[in-house]
Amino acid sequence: VSALRVITAIPEAMAIVALPPLLLSIITKTKAWFGGRDGPPWLQPYYDLHKLIRKGAVYSRTTTWIFRAGPIVNLAALLTATTLIPVLSNDSLFGFRGDVILVAYLFALGRMFTVLAAMDTGSSFEGMGASREVTFGTMSEPALFLCFAVLAIATRSIQVSDMVGSPLAGTWGSVGPAMILVAGALLIVLLTEACRVPVDDPTTHLELTMIHEVMVLDHSGPDFAFITYAAGLKFLLLGSILIHVVLPNRGWPIFVDLPLRVVELAALSVVVGVIESCMARLRLRRVPLLLAGATVLSALGVVLTLTRSLA
Amino acid sequence: VTAILISLGLLGGGAATSIALTAKPRAALLVALAAVAVTAGILLITALSILVAAHTDQPVTYSWPMPLGVVRLAIDGLSAWFLGCVAVLSLAVAIYAWPYMLAEVEHGSLAAHGAFLCLLVASLVLVVTAADLVLFLASWEAMSLSAFLLVGFHHRQPEVRRGAWMYLIITHVGTAFFLVPMFGILGAHAHATSFAAFREAFEHCGPRTGALLFVLGLIGFGTKAGFMPMHIWLPVAHPAAPTPVSALLSGVVIKTGIYGILRLLSWLPPLPTGCGMAMLALGIVSGVLGVLYAIAQHDLKRLLAYHSVENIGIIALGIGMGMLGQATGQPVLATLGYCGAMLHVLNHALFKGLLFLAAGTVIHSTGTGEIDRLGGLARRMPVNAALFLIAAVSICGLPPFNGFVSEWILYGSLFGGAFGTAASAAGPAVLGAVSLALMGGLALACFAKVFGVVFLGEARDPSVHVHPTAGLMRVGMSILAASCIAIGMLPGLFVPLTRGGVHAVAHVPPASFSASLQGVIAPVAALSGLVLLLLVLVAGLAIARRRILRRNGCDLGRTRATWGCGYAASSPRVQYTASSFGWSLVESFRCLLWPARHATELVGCFPATGHLESHTPDMAEHDLFAPLARAGIVLCQSIRTVSWPWGSPRSVVVRVPGDRVGPMRELVTHLVGVLRRGSIHACLAFIVLTLLVVFFVGSFTSPRSSSSRPTVADAPRPSEVSK
Repeated sequence: VSALRVITAIPEAMAIVALPPLLLSIITKTKAWFGGRDGPPWLQPYYDLHKLIRKGAVYSRTTTWIFRAGPIVNLAALLTATTLIPVLSNDSLFGFRGDVILVAYLFALGRMFTVLAAMDTGSSFEGMGASREVTFGTMSEPALFLCFAVLAIATRSIQVSDMVGSPLAGTWGSVGPAMILVAGALLIVLLTEACRVPVDDPTTHLELTMIHEVMVLDHSGPDFAFITYAAGLKFLLLGSILIHVVLPNRGWPIFVDLPLRVVELAALSVVVGVIESCMARLRLRRVPLLLAGATVLSALGVVLTLTRSLA
Repeated sequence: VTAILISLGLLGGGAATSIALTAKPRAALLVALAAVAVTAGILLITALSILVAAHTDQPVTYSWPMPLGVVRLAIDGLSAWFLGCVAVLSLAVAIYAWPYMLAEVEHGSLAAHGAFLCLLVASLVLVVTAADLVLFLASWEAMSLSAFLLVGFHHRQPEVRRGAWMYLIITHVGTAFFLVPMFGILGAHAHATSFAAFREAFEHCGPRTGALLFVLGLIGFGTKAGFMPMHIWLPVAHPAAPTPVSALLSGVVIKTGIYGILRLLSWLPPLPTGCGMAMLALGIVSGVLGVLYAIAQHDLKRLLAYHSVENIGIIALGIGMGMLGQATGQPVLATLGYCGAMLHVLNHALFKGLLFLAAGTVIHSTGTGEIDRLGGLARRMPVNAALFLIAAVSICGLPPFNGFVSEWILYGSLFGGAFGTAASAAGPAVLGAVSLALMGGLALACFAKVFGVVFLGEARDPSVHVHPTAGLMRVGMSILAASCIAIGMLPGLFVPLTRGGVHAVAHVPPASFSASLQGVIAPVAALSGLVLLLLVLVAGLAIARRRILRRNGCDLGRTRATWGCGYAASSPRVQYTASSFGWSLVESFRCLLWPARHATELVGCFPATGHLESHTPDMAEHDLFAPLARAGIVLCQSIRTVSWPWGSPRSVVVRVPGDRVGPMRELVTHLVGVLRRGSIHACLAFIVLTLLVVFFVGSFTSPRSSSSRPTVADAPRPSEVSK
């Protein structure tokens, strides 16, 4: 490990910690711009977090310790995953061979506890949200693993930082169509897991149509701050995997690469904002079709990559 | 081996004393359970010492007059591993069973129950240590019979009798028609009955003989293990049995089927690729369908029984990858596959045992196993809820518990197969990895449902009363929970213990075990660090929140009502039920499950009382075995009419739900309907499905044929348009 890498790791870590609310802010600003409004200030998500941290919390008398554990386990799982995923640079803090599975299962652990915390309130609305969350989470899992399979076959590794490393650039040259399919499937998985339109609408005001927002109705104060931050962090993590797949390691010096990755993430947020502005949320019964579509896209990607790698 | 003999003696003595003390059922049960617990302790120490030392005992022969052979016992790494599984679970079950069975003193003979329990554990020990055909079959039979007698404890209830008989019949069909011929071929070929002779005789057998033996063994042992079409006794027998017996059945009795398959593989040379693929396919089908059926269940124990089918499927995935690795000459894949499968055998024994025991505590203290009637038990029995949660997180394969470790190793073998050198293994391996991911997601949904509905929220049915549970039950469950946590936190200690078993099955030398294990994935010890990081983060965040709340002057003890979204007259009955929680998934997979739903339609502004009923009958039972059984009955009756025309023919009716339409008919109607509607998604899906089938058939028949390539290269265009 070079000295330069160690020195750049500090601003990189600070950027990773600071970025999630900003990405959400960019999406909101894009939507406001499409709607012809000014939108909230750029730093509004930070103000919101600050406000929540300074508040107390109200707990329902139906709940148990599970309810209080939910936001904490979710955020801790995502933070652990952050140490395995190359977010801005091309390597990760604690990466090891096989960590891609740990990443996927850490996301699932966070989901399990969020869902259980929702069920703990005994509210029918939150039960409904929990049911939808596990349904769509289950259906996005095969698509995610098929995408991982394409990357694994292409790079002969199951370590996240290697799977999105420089061999992938060659794959774009040889099986470009497969990589386009993977990028499309990953975008759908990102939108599902991060609870964005067309699967879920984070700004809706009707509990019956919510998924993620309705599950966290009863959380307040610091708990809600953890949840809001974790939502941004999940978007950042999945978004950076997508960015690294689309633009694999270019071998540029790190002080050029790091700021560029931030710009790319901002661009991804703008894309998500544009998608949210251009289309409405799908009907709930149509969402499985979208996720099945993502699975099929990535399955075709696997077939293409396999035929190419075996030929 | 001396320890084995001592423990067999102890168990025999326990059983005999228990029978002798029939007049004093409590004392009899105590003696029997103490014998089981002490034996389990001895066996655990024996198994661990053999596994740690990784040396193989020479088979010890005793000339005991048996009709066809001699009594031979041998313990190698594989036997010791399964012995360890039996020992841990028996210990926990023996401690748990004391308070549990005492409450059942009026319902049956405790003395007989205790004796049969001793007999079951003894026969389990013999099954995994026998090194002779006759002894193996005899103890296999003793195991089946004692398990049957244990399942039938509440024999006055008709559904218990049905479950017990179904188990007995199915297990004997498997043994008689598949295992006995298999061992017949083995014995005839080797001219001997000892297992060591089988190994020498079949070291160089042809692929056809190997495949034939494998198929016979797969069906015969698979009936016991509960692979998908042969699983139908599991969801009937498990709810019928008393809880300690359910835990033993699901934890170790079905694992003897896995042991049998692994033992058979250890005699045979590497089998053709097709056998490995059949194993993988069976694993995928059992796993996905098992967990889907589990989501659709309303009864706690029935649901857990379907989860056993799922986990047997996961184990089969590992064995399949191990066989593929052997067939294609990749010891890395073989090691990873077999190691993952064996570790999952232990893990499943631990967390499924714990789940059954915790569920049994719920049933014991509330009197019902119907999920939709329960609720809010976490506040009434917090320890039990925490133990159930540990097991639920483990079975979903989530870190930081043991389920993740074995699934991680299995993913290693599946992904290793995907980018390995063998063309024919790549496609099935990817399919296996994806279905394992799907199983993980579905298991998460299922256990979020069970834990959320049973333990969280408010009590749904006011007529359900909660009685306190005994402390000893918690002790028994804590042993299993502690093992789950230990394997999850320190996998580096436990995973190398499988090397003896992997050596026995795949002939991978123990010296190169760890090198092979790390061919695709990092050393398992890497997981410990991340698990530690996760726990530190959880603790840190919890402390941070506590300090923030205290600084903000928040009164932590003050609680309010749940926010009802503005609706003030809420009641516990409006909570989401298990059926509604799972319905969206069941509905999405209805073409695999064929759920039935009956509801009265509500009309008008003031509708009358309505009702809704949904159930998901088992397809294998009603659409595969029921017609077979009916055909068998017709055949027997016609034979009887021909040979004995004087008696009046008695008609036997096979029970089938009345309004059931055959799934094939429904499937065809559905497909035609979708095509006629002209949905673009459906048409694209059909195109893609056809392409995938063509690809897999192409890769299966001739890996290097160029005929399938142009077809596949054209594939992305339609889907790109669809984007």
